[in-house]
Amino acid sequence: MNIKINRETLLKPLSSVCGIIERRHTLPILSNLLLEAREEKLVLTATDLEMQISLSIFSNIGGELSTTISAKKLLDICRALQENTEINMTTSESRITVKAGKSKFNLQTLPAADYPVMSKVLTGSNTLIRISQRELKRLLRQVEFAMAQQDIRYYLNGLLFELTANRLNIVGTDGHRLSYTSTELNQNYDKQEVILPRKTIIELIKLLDDSDEQVLISLTNGQANFAFGAIELISKVIDGKFPDYSRVIPVGHQNSFSVNRITILLSMQRASILSNEKYRGIRMVLGNNSLKLISTNSEQEEAEEELEINYNKEPLDIGFNVTYMIDVLNNVGSDEVIFSFADANSSCLVTVPEDSNYKYVVMPMRI
Amino acid sequence: MPRIQLLNDQLISQIAAGEVVERPAAALKEILENSLDAGSNDIHISLMQGGIKQIRISDNGKGIPREELNLALTRHATSKISNLEELERVATLGFRGEALASIAAISRISLSSRFEGNSHAWKISSEGGYLGEIVPAALNMGTAIEVSDLFFNTPARRNFLKTENTEFGHCEEVISRIALSRPQISFTVQHNGRSLSRWSQGSSTQRFKDILGEEFLSESFEIDEVANGFRLWGIAAQPTFSRNSRDKQYVYVNGRFVRDKLISHAIKQAYQDVLHNDRFPAYAIFLELDPGLVDVNVHPSKTEVRFRDGQSIHRFIFHSLNKRLASPTGAINSVSVSKSESNPFKSAYPADANTLRDGTYQSQKNLALNSQSEEFYKTLFGNIHNSNVDSGIEKQNSDSENGIQNEVEDFPLGFALVQIHGVYILAQNKHGLVIVDMHAAHERIVYEKLKCNFDIDEGHQIQMQPLLIPVSFFADKMEVSTVVEESKSGYGNLSKLGFDIGILSPTNLVVRAVPAILKDADPVSLARNVLHDLKEFGSSRAFTERRNEMLATMACHAAVRANRILTLQEMNGLLRDMETTERSGQCNHGRPTWFQISMNDLDKMFMRGK
Repeated sequence: MNIKINRETLLKPLSSVCGIIERRHTLPILSNLLLEAREEKLVLTATDLEMQISLSIFSNIGGELSTTISAKKLLDICRALQENTEINMTTSESRITVKAGKSKFNLQTLPAADYPVMSKVLTGSNTLIRISQRELKRLLRQVEFAMAQQDIRYYLNGLLFELTANRLNIVGTDGHRLSYTSTELNQNYDKQEVILPRKTIIELIKLLDDSDEQVLISLTNGQANFAFGAIELISKVIDGKFPDYSRVIPVGHQNSFSVNRITILLSMQRASILSNEKYRGIRMVLGNNSLKLISTNSEQEEAEEELEINYNKEPLDIGFNVTYMIDVLNNVGSDEVIFSFADANSSCLVTVPEDSNYKYVVMPMRI
Repeated sequence: MPRIQLLNDQLISQIAAGEVVERPAAALKEILENSLDAGSNDIHISLMQGGIKQIRISDNGKGIPREELNLALTRHATSKISNLEELERVATLGFRGEALASIAAISRISLSSRFEGNSHAWKISSEGGYLGEIVPAALNMGTAIEVSDLFFNTPARRNFLKTENTEFGHCEEVISRIALSRPQISFTVQHNGRSLSRWSQGSSTQRFKDILGEEFLSESFEIDEVANGFRLWGIAAQPTFSRNSRDKQYVYVNGRFVRDKLISHAIKQAYQDVLHNDRFPAYAIFLELDPGLVDVNVHPSKTEVRFRDGQSIHRFIFHSLNKRLASPTGAINSVSVSKSESNPFKSAYPADANTLRDGTYQSQKNLALNSQSEEFYKTLFGNIHNSNVDSGIEKQNSDSENGIQNEVEDFPLGFALVQIHGVYILAQNKHGLVIVDMHAAHERIVYEKLKCNFDIDEGHQIQMQPLLIPVSFFADKMEVSTVVEESKSGYGNLSKLGFDIGILSPTNLVVRAVPAILKDADPVSLARNVLHDLKEFGSSRAFTERRNEMLATMACHAAVRANRILTLQEMNGLLRDMETTERSGQCNHGRPTWFQISMNDLDKMFMRGK
């Protein structure tokens, strides 16, 4: 069995799929990559048993192949080779020989039949959603940072995809702040909820590009399937009940002001230098047409930033974890942001003028 | 169908005996306590076959008159209390009037006693509870009791006895416990006719040394604290002398050995910051308080007690011990940490009370110090000390006429000489050589500073992070009732700890806010810990503990690592910091941070002056 392929054709797809392979494993085959070549097509598959990425390369490879090989080593070899080298792979027994120019590598393989391939679930109901790559990537970016990480409330370690009528709502929260976004679909759906794991979301953002090409999402029993370009991503979903986010998003907060995103972001970053390194607390003091950001740390050092804003509602003194604010300002990607408050004990709502669907809620901190 | 009927007296006693006398050691304890209550100051104990065959105890107490001998072996007969009031304020070890009768019911017993002023002694024997005649006997003074063939008429219980050695071990433990608390009484112990130990009357320090060993004593510090009518005294071992089991933990309440959850919890908390989790501190401590404030009538074996005011006792014990454990290296002066078992330079401190208390040596006045570094040091740190609040150092500095020597003595850890392999600092103080583990020491300093900062920062109120999505959890009745009690008092305790916990239903609680610093911890387990502590001990250190864990990790990362080359100035700075830092004798994980090798030890190693 023998194939040949250009380094440039292989390298980019290879690095895309290798991302999900964990470095430490108890199962040796999980550090491997499945290579399947048939006629004009080479399929690379990687899995961590929770999700799987398959990527097809269409090229004149001139042979057949079906084996698994260490993902990291193959990637390192390809990276180190000179540009535009022709790579030759020959398998024999439990070995594969990779030749490129004057370089030759002899690597171990494991049988392709042993590779734990996740197959598409075909039973049960199947919901199909179509959305452009650019739109999906934008939505995920808006909410991804609010996901919990290794929280024992396992259902928070991911994003909620909620279908209602012709809308797709995506929500992430870690119990302290919540990020919500929504988009219109071209079709009506029955109400349906799935939670996609954190790692899947992060890989998706990496793999999606800014094209108008369609992503076909199919949701079946316990599985979500994303197909776009040459990529097919299969992921398990988190089996759990996401909290009722609609109760958390406040309505009718009166005290609001609009501010340039970059201006307040830079002020926040400066003030955060002297905030307590563990609590990260910062006070937002609202007065007549002025916003002060005040922080102190455990060494009693203080920072104060003042911004001129258009504000003539009630004065307010409210504390926040500055990380939560910097997170949203870094990720919303608009020129202006709107902050709305009720009082010092109620949550704060952050919205952006150009996207009425986006909402970010953060709880204050008692300082 | 059997009829309900009254049991005969014999059987009642045997049943009662099951509670009190489960093994020879229990019988021994009861009889010994009688001897103590009788005011003896010399007790002889002789055991045969681990006490299974025979227990013989003779004392020189005030004895029992002839006409009361009968009653002494009868159930519910005692001389120690006569009405309820006396029961509530009982100061003797026994009071139930059960022990002797119970023992008599299951053994062959002979009781001879010569009451004060009588011309000769009288003796009564009993077999399985059947009393014999009272006959004249020969005895110098006091009372002698001989218990033979324990459990001879209760074969079931006899089958549960362990080997002779095990039973003797239990007896020895009982004797040690009692002897520890009564240094004014001399004890002689014999087993199978062989003389084992003789502890003569003496100070409590002497008795600690006899029973716990010299090593324990030299590794311990003395405590003696008085407050609000409580007194806590005794000895507790340095954290470096920790054990991997709970043996060597002796707690006495009004002279009675007890195992009490409240007290051991308070002690454990005091050691928390300096002891690794699976190590146990060693101590022998005595709590004295008004007998009216403690109820000993909880269980027939009387190793359990109830306190009227458990909370303040918990606080008192915690603070007394914590104060001593926390005192900075500089304050304990030259209490050497150096005598753990593994240390080859084990010094021969005479372990009597005086050295323990002030621990000062005859100092080697003429020990020459590198004058250059001295000068250098003064220029470096002189200013700091003048601005320092530490009045002790200030005084010394202004009193400069006494010269350099005096100033040296003010620094218990002396001056750094050199760094070894990037790990240890060698320093010289007035006693000799000091070796410091630089990472461990710095880690502790950073940790204490962080704790201090966070304590100030929090002020009166802990910063609270309300949860966007409150977490509800299934709670048991105790947890719910704790929250109910809290709600009645306006949630003062909980909000002081940075928590907001509410009741959803009779079986569900909800956490609405957690302390900001612990926002990423599991809110449910945190809330459970806090509620449990509030219920059991009236206050909770769960927050402080969790926070300290986190600060400890931060400190570990911030401390200097091995192979970091320090200059002399930096090393001296570290030593000065150690002297003013609390608990600087141990790192965060309970390992020692420094050792002292005295000139004596060094001289011995080189056989100088022999």
